[in-house]
Amino acid sequence: MEAAKMASPKSAPKDAQVMAQILKDMGITEYEPRVINQMLEFAYRYVTTILEDAKIYSSHAKKSSVDADDVRLAIQCRTDQSFTSPPPRDFLLDIARQKNQTPLPLIKPYSGPRLPPDRYCLTAPNYRLKALQKKVSSTAGRITVPRLSVGAVSSRPSTPTLGTPSAQTVSVSAKVGAPVSLAGQRFTVQIPSSQPPGKSATPTTPTVQNVLINPSLISPKNILITTNMVAQGTASDPNPLKRKHEDEDDYDTL
Amino acid sequence: VVVEDQPDVSAVLSAYNQQGDPTLYEEYYSGLKHFIECSLDCHRAELSQLFYPLFVHMYLELVYNQHESEAKSFFERFHGDQECYYQDDLRVLSSLTKKEHMKGNETMLDFRTSKFVLRISRDSYQLLKRHLQEKQNNQIWNIVQEHLYIDIFDGMPRSKQQIDAMVGSLAGEAKREANKAKVFFGLLKEPEFDVPLDDEDEEGENEEGKPKKKKPKKDNVGSKSKKQDPNAPPQNRIPLPELKDSDKLDKVMNMKEAARRVRLGPECLPSICFYTFLNAYQGLTAVDITDDSSMIVGGFADSTVRVWSVTPKKLRSVKTAADLSLIDKESDDVLERIMDEKTASELKILYGHSGPVYGTSFSPDRNYLLSCSEDGTVRLWSLQTFTCLVGYKGHNYPVWDTQFSPYGYYFVSGGHDRVARLWATDHYQPLRIFAGHLADVTCTRFHPNSNYIATGSADRTIRLWDVLNGNCVRIFTGHKGPIHALAFSPNGRFLATGATDGRVLLWDIGHGLMVGELKGHTDTIYALRFSRDGEILASGSMDNTVRLWDAVKAFEDLETDDFTTATGHINLPENSQDLLLGTYMTKSTPVVHLHFTRRNLLLAAGAYSSQ
Repeated sequence: MEAAKMASPKSAPKDAQVMAQILKDMGITEYEPRVINQMLEFAYRYVTTILEDAKIYSSHAKKSSVDADDVRLAIQCRTDQSFTSPPPRDFLLDIARQKNQTPLPLIKPYSGPRLPPDRYCLTAPNYRLKALQKKVSSTAGRITVPRLSVGAVSSRPSTPTLGTPSAQTVSVSAKVGAPVSLAGQRFTVQIPSSQPPGKSATPTTPTVQNVLINPSLISPKNILITTNMVAQGTASDPNPLKRKHEDEDDYDTL
Repeated sequence: VVVEDQPDVSAVLSAYNQQGDPTLYEEYYSGLKHFIECSLDCHRAELSQLFYPLFVHMYLELVYNQHESEAKSFFERFHGDQECYYQDDLRVLSSLTKKEHMKGNETMLDFRTSKFVLRISRDSYQLLKRHLQEKQNNQIWNIVQEHLYIDIFDGMPRSKQQIDAMVGSLAGEAKREANKAKVFFGLLKEPEFDVPLDDEDEEGENEEGKPKKKKPKKDNVGSKSKKQDPNAPPQNRIPLPELKDSDKLDKVMNMKEAARRVRLGPECLPSICFYTFLNAYQGLTAVDITDDSSMIVGGFADSTVRVWSVTPKKLRSVKTAADLSLIDKESDDVLERIMDEKTASELKILYGHSGPVYGTSFSPDRNYLLSCSEDGTVRLWSLQTFTCLVGYKGHNYPVWDTQFSPYGYYFVSGGHDRVARLWATDHYQPLRIFAGHLADVTCTRFHPNSNYIATGSADRTIRLWDVLNGNCVRIFTGHKGPIHALAFSPNGRFLATGATDGRVLLWDIGHGLMVGELKGHTDTIYALRFSRDGEILASGSMDNTVRLWDAVKAFEDLETDDFTTATGHINLPENSQDLLLGTYMTKSTPVVHLHFTRRNLLLAAGAYSSQ
């Protein structure tokens, strides 16, 4: 950092000199010369914003001119908005006490890279490949991709490494409504989309999802797997896409 | 159980009730000043400690109750009397002239509500009390009771030199009882291994052509005694990740290197290898080196994180999933085959942060890298794919420092919100919050046994926290500026700290005492490191020097009998010059990081600044 050069009184404008004096009073001796310009810019912008806000408040209160109360209110509102400060100490002590009461969680052995659930990681692809097939125009009563909703599932973090996981495929019929008890195995659920006969629509790719169901996270031993069959209508088009997007964020899609 | 100073909500509100007539404050203060200056020499030093906190509290009270002109004249009259190390605080105080200025300044609010701790001997205290309880001095007595906490100890009054060594923090000193909790400063037992002998190791020795005997050597570096060290924490006090095969291989390598380690001492100083970052116009703000000294990472003010390979082996990233399915998984060198040769380069740049990167830390198994930034997040990067894996959001303000635990899995971060947080890589929220500092947490370090965390702060104190329950078990005061460097000794017993005041202070963790003061640096100390066996302490500073200090001599002959443990201070010898083993100047390059390799070669890093 270059040492501060005191601008000669002839060339520096008055407020630059004032700013340099303020910096000196606050004990700042070494700074680049452009700091004065930046500080002046900030001061000008701040005061302008405050005065503009004060004008708005005073006209709202139907006063003829701006007075000190308006300015005070403007400063207070701006402070809460832009210049936030860290939480107060007693609040921090309080949340610390709460957080520190829970014992440290045990570490599961042999679990590969220890990362939070996928939703909290940045490992998911932030793009989605557009399907090449044309979407057929809709008619009422046609069933498209049914979604699988499963309660309380923890997803295994996807590792970018070796091998393909060997999955035990169990095909669950799409009409399942009865509870199925699972014992922590991984399932490949294939939900064939049923096409109405007669339409020569190109088949939509079935969604394959690998879902690890951890029974320890679910209080009842049985999990209810339900599939929602949604009738295709143009109006419902945005909704299925939206639901699908949410699901993909939470779970692995291999 | 440690008593923490919890501010009462009602105390905050009534903190500054009017104490007497504002116009008489100057009289009260000068009256007290006169009394103290006329007291006996032995008491004067101790009673002089009252000046600063009383001055600040009285001034703040006048400002808070909106007596601006009285406040101003009070300040002008008495601010010159204060000790030189409080000048920075006084400058900030001089700009606080109205009640509105006090709102939103968290540090000042905390100062108001927490009691400033003074440690005074019983005799001096009796003298003071007798004087103040006379009728005309009642106001000052009220103020003293309101804002100060006087920790009385039985013993000789302290000399000015002793007091000067230990004061300086925003909250005064530490109460003796704050440093009484038991701390398990011993090391955890290393698991025993059979170290297989390598052919290469034996070549030099068996030149006569004798047949090489291959016997597995038992590791006798760590566990000489089977008994549990009483000062070491139980193995399962906090859950730690189990050792994987790759970790075990790493430990074997470590032990082999340890066998070849150079024994350092005053007669045998380490060679220093300096890594200078040239043309670092991006502004180098953080550096870290892996334990085996194979990679170096730099965090920059342009929000990038750059990783370099220090050895001839280049950095490679893992192949894509499609290619990985083609390789033979059973081959011996599968860990080499998963790497993609096409991506080999010496430098990898990691983009992701949106603000200057202030702290970086490699994981012990070299698979992960952490970086913390002004944007309030801590990011976990994979060193196998060189992509960002997780962003940990919790601090909403700049995070100044982060470090992985020596066993991996846990990491700590400290920032502008005055707390340090303990995280685990697989939890998106922190596991522990360490709150208590009055100002930003600028430096965070794990103890070698991973059970304790030391945090240095801008309030000029160092606190030691227990990971198990989040309690603050030690408070160390004595620095006169924000702390920027912390280092635990390899045996876990001592802590070395460096701050903007240019002093290195040495602390005994078990007893909670300051045991050494190393003067010599003339500017902020940003790097501190003990050698691998704890014989030498290296310090690097903004004054472009690296200094080596004799740690063995600094820690021997400690008179820690019951008396000193009770009073909390010992006589520090003025032996900085004796302990200084060498000063090494760089070419106008401030030293940002220090690292001892496994063979005790000292590596240092900094960015060349052309001045």
